[in-house]
Amino acid sequence: MTERKFVKPLKPKVDVNRVNTRILPVEFEYFEPRTVKEVVELLSKYGSEARILAGGTDLIVRMKQRFIEPKYIVNIKKVKELNFIEDRGDHLAIGAATKLREIEKSGIVRKRFVALYEAVRSMAGVQIRNMATIGGNLCNASPAADTAPPLLVFEAKLKIVGPDGEKLVPISEFFLGPGKTVLKHDEVLAEIWIPYQPEGTGSAFIKIARVAMDLAKVNVAVALRTEEGVVKSVKIALGAVAPTPIRAYKTEEFLTGKELSEATLEKAAEIVKTEVKPITDIRSTAEYRREVSGVIVKDALLKAYERISGR
Amino acid sequence: MGKIIRFRLNGRPVSIYVENNELLLNVLREKLGVMSPKYGCGIGECGACTVLLDGEPVLSCLTLAVEVDGKDVVTAEGLAKDSELDVVQRAFIEEGAIQCGYCIPGFILVAKKLLEENPEPDEDFIREYIRGNLCRCTGYVNIVRAIKRAAEELKFHVGKNKQV
Amino acid sequence: MASSSLKQEGFRYIGKRTPRKDGVAKVSGQMRYTYDIYLPGMLYGRILKSPYPHAKIKNIDVSEAEKMGAVVITFKDVPKKKFNIRLVSADRVNYKDWEVLTDHPKYVGDYVAAVAAETEELAQKAVEAIKIEWEVFEPLLDPFESMKDGRPKIHNKILFGSKEITVKNNVACRLDYSEGDVEKAFKEADVVIERTFKTNRRYHMQLEPKVTVAKPEPDGGITVWTTTQTIHNTRILISQVFDIPMSKVNVKKLPIGGSFGSSIQTNLVTLVAVALALKAGRPVKIALSREEDMYEHSSYQMYFRLKVAARKDGTILAGELENTMDIGGHQIQAYPLLGCLLGWFVSLYKWKNIKYKGIAVYTNKVPACAFRGYGNPQITWAVESVIDELAEALGIDPIELRLKNYVGRGDLFWGQGPTVKSVVKSDGVPELLKKGAELIGWYNRPQPGEQKGRFRRGIGLGRGFHTSGAGGRISGEVIDFTGCILKINEDGSVDYITALQDHGGGSLDAHAKIIAEELGVPLEKINIIWADTQTTVYDVCTHASRGTYVGGEAARRAAREVKKKLLEYAVRLLGDVVNPEALNIKPDEELGQGVIYVEGMPDKKITVGEVAREAWQRNWGSVAAVVSYRATNSPPAYTVYFVEVEVDTETGRLRPVRVVAGADVGTVINPDLAAGQLHGGFAQGWGMAVLEDTPYDPETGELMCRGFITDYKIMTAQDLPKVDDFTVIFASTHEPTGPFGAKGLGEAALNPVAGAVANAIYNAIGVRLYELPITPEKILKALKERGLK
Repeated sequence: MTERKFVKPLKPKVDVNRVNTRILPVEFEYFEPRTVKEVVELLSKYGSEARILAGGTDLIVRMKQRFIEPKYIVNIKKVKELNFIEDRGDHLAIGAATKLREIEKSGIVRKRFVALYEAVRSMAGVQIRNMATIGGNLCNASPAADTAPPLLVFEAKLKIVGPDGEKLVPISEFFLGPGKTVLKHDEVLAEIWIPYQPEGTGSAFIKIARVAMDLAKVNVAVALRTEEGVVKSVKIALGAVAPTPIRAYKTEEFLTGKELSEATLEKAAEIVKTEVKPITDIRSTAEYRREVSGVIVKDALLKAYERISGR
Repeated sequence: MGKIIRFRLNGRPVSIYVENNELLLNVLREKLGVMSPKYGCGIGECGACTVLLDGEPVLSCLTLAVEVDGKDVVTAEGLAKDSELDVVQRAFIEEGAIQCGYCIPGFILVAKKLLEENPEPDEDFIREYIRGNLCRCTGYVNIVRAIKRAAEELKFHVGKNKQV
Repeated sequence: MASSSLKQEGFRYIGKRTPRKDGVAKVSGQMRYTYDIYLPGMLYGRILKSPYPHAKIKNIDVSEAEKMGAVVITFKDVPKKKFNIRLVSADRVNYKDWEVLTDHPKYVGDYVAAVAAETEELAQKAVEAIKIEWEVFEPLLDPFESMKDGRPKIHNKILFGSKEITVKNNVACRLDYSEGDVEKAFKEADVVIERTFKTNRRYHMQLEPKVTVAKPEPDGGITVWTTTQTIHNTRILISQVFDIPMSKVNVKKLPIGGSFGSSIQTNLVTLVAVALALKAGRPVKIALSREEDMYEHSSYQMYFRLKVAARKDGTILAGELENTMDIGGHQIQAYPLLGCLLGWFVSLYKWKNIKYKGIAVYTNKVPACAFRGYGNPQITWAVESVIDELAEALGIDPIELRLKNYVGRGDLFWGQGPTVKSVVKSDGVPELLKKGAELIGWYNRPQPGEQKGRFRRGIGLGRGFHTSGAGGRISGEVIDFTGCILKINEDGSVDYITALQDHGGGSLDAHAKIIAEELGVPLEKINIIWADTQTTVYDVCTHASRGTYVGGEAARRAAREVKKKLLEYAVRLLGDVVNPEALNIKPDEELGQGVIYVEGMPDKKITVGEVAREAWQRNWGSVAAVVSYRATNSPPAYTVYFVEVEVDTETGRLRPVRVVAGADVGTVINPDLAAGQLHGGFAQGWGMAVLEDTPYDPETGELMCRGFITDYKIMTAQDLPKVDDFTVIFASTHEPTGPFGAKGLGEAALNPVAGAVANAIYNAIGVRLYELPITPEKILKALKERGLK
């Protein structure tokens, strides 16, 4: 008889016997509030056992996978105040429950926030974009969330409503870690305010993934403003290279006031690589993510530069 | 816990009791006998369960049945008019776009919407639009051809109608 | 159809585009797959699987599940038998290490118990209520680690035929072979190249996960609807495992939502559903979820050491191959595959001196099974890579080197392994290489490594083949038997009844055309019956690209027999016709059926339907035939792929720019569906080359993707070349042994793709990678390491 080595049973990361994606193996009470006030009341009442159903493309998947088992589901699809795209003069406001497809179809987004348009277009397939919402994409707080980098470079603000009223949080302060945001259990993300960028701003989004319908290995957005070839202002944000989507502040600082020469871009790419803290997972390696972060920042800067009006 | 929902299914009103945690896909198949939406992955990656909800392609495997109360649902069964196949359905047959066929109802619904949105799609548009539907048999070539063909035929018909 | 529509070959239906017979049902959502079967009183089954990669059950408690009203079975309730779930090989060479349910699971997902309940929700709860106390062992996830001394035994005693054998060092089986003297050849050669290769472990990702519905019958029998490539072997296995007479086991043939080899074997879920139904006394349906399905089957992962030698003039002198296969937790067809892999290898090129060492090793991973090409895509990738290297070393054009050495017309061919030999009779390789080279611009391709820019393009060639079926001259170890029934109805319509499964590629449409062509009956009058095991004669399985070549020939023979009867009866009915040779049959559009007529005498005619009706009304007999058929050849369907890729050297990303796919399938029966095989073959091959793999979590032994296709990607429409950039060409050949000159295609359409892609990448960037998939990560790393970025 061969010697048998006993190992301490390692807990499987997914329980094959509890997962069942053919059904929704979780029972819950279901609510369809019509106002944000009702949403907040429900969340206050049921606390951490309640979850918001916006698009469902993440929540229901995670329930099928048994990562979460909420007892109360608050469907916000019918809350009109959360579902709109509105030009408010100095900023564009988007309701958190607005479908990605609506955002992609918006002329203003396409014209004024190209990076956001490109990010949304890069996401999933048509069916998912007909279901998934921008608020859902942010609140899931995936490090790879595609809408996060554009909103970071446009310095969007998030209107959060809770029992004590509403507040505006800069998106740079919203994410705390994978799956974690500043939202409390009784708070709901209501609106995304995206400030219109000064005249002469160009933006771009680039995503590297395994196939055309995929989560990002790395994604990047830039918003760039130049005067006579010199960088007046630049914002760079990356996803899937740290526990949250990040801004590349050092790279931004380096670029500001410089001409976008090849040498400058090369140097910028090198700095970006020091700012990211990627990991290796099934989608890619840390090494690759770091290397490619630099490349796509360069590419996105050039793309944004080409888009600056008048060019 | 659940409720009675009322909605239109392929043009006909239905009302049925569903549990809160029942998925539209399973209700269509098991309670209403509408079999064309298929389970392929259950997590929104393959498109086999696509239905048109108020005219928009969505995934029935991630849609709670309670949510479709008051809405309009169309599946591949509902496309033929007076037992005459839809132009998209015909094009799929004519271009040899079908192999095992399991994914095909989903593709056809998405193609329907694609052509409604853009009657003259170029190939990039088509390929991007159908990327949420996976096919393991065809390599998509004849599917893309079928959608192009359907677009041509629709154009021809529209043109003819205008002349009349 | 008027005669103007006849093709130049003179065929009415063969080679013409015709709408597939199941098209309307498929586009209108009315086609019923196994997943669509719901029976009155049916219970829903759910399987309890091992969460550990290697463990034993110390204690199992199902009482809570039973309290919920669920019917529960565990390893204690199933027949204590070991068997192999695949029955394509002769029983004497079948390794048997499977049980219906086990107390000794060998991989995460291995089945240990099952429940059936009124709803799937309840079944799910019942499964979760079963309590198990486990003893867990160190998982072995690498075959080389698994073979070392002192490692846990994945299997101990298994059966080989009916003999019990003991597994040593987790080696499942071996096969060695040699011919000539490779060592001597290596010494005498001008160039010797030796390389090691590692392939990926791919998942079939057929769109329909495995499903079975089992219904117990009052006579103690059972009726089964299941996703299978072989209804008869499924029936035999159920009969053997549960001791039910075969006549009482009826397996229905249904459309299947893709398979690609994953149901050549009877998937274990079928047996579990049967066991549950027998215990419950009610119909039971088990539909696997996608994540369960991914824990059910994968491709064979192979490690090759390949050494080849050639003379300066390009004559290949020797080929030596070591093949180590990671087969996972069970044997499905490891032993026959060791033989086939050798067969693929020796039938690619004339090595002259051959040495082969094959070894199949158990690991605590999902059991590997056939996946379109059955090892051929793996070895063809390795061989085509090395042939390109050889060409470069010799300074000979890769096309020329291939033409000089490939196994072609007149050569001995044993693609299906050492027990299945025949001589090649049709060969379109030179034609395909010449045409393909022109279309892709082969002679203008760059020199490897000469490009400097960020985006570099390269053109690669891959050449290969697959057999058409597994037939041969002598009775070997592989079963390749088929048969069918053909009946003429009194209205002139035709019932075609066969057990042969069509996975969607259109084999049965090809059969219908063959029958219509042979009989002279309109194609739309040939009805393909969805039959079952009780109403069909034996067919082994739709595998080995045999559907059209083997099944089509059986159909043709049946049509000939029927035609003979029709003409004989027609002679009697027409009165003064001298003999059947004076008669012809052709489809008559007006009458909507076949008409038997005398050339030049328009009044001397009778419809096929009238003959059938008169024959039984006058008590002469039915116009029908039952045919059984065993092919004595399994000729190679040759394929060549020319692929142009673009490499982004900054990100390592790849784009398939253009494809020229050439196939020698003999006579093309369904042109659009045949092209579809090449389109689909390329998509799968491109995925194999650059994307797909199922790595394991080294800590928990789970799939890294946990069974979710979020992290098992396949190519989407947006990842593949445009319609106009994908050219399909067919060779103008005729296979004398095939029906109307036809050969197989399905697997050949995939086999050379990865090789062509690997060669194209090398041509673009001057870097060759020996591990699949060739991902952007690997490309970028290699470019950096070599300072080529």
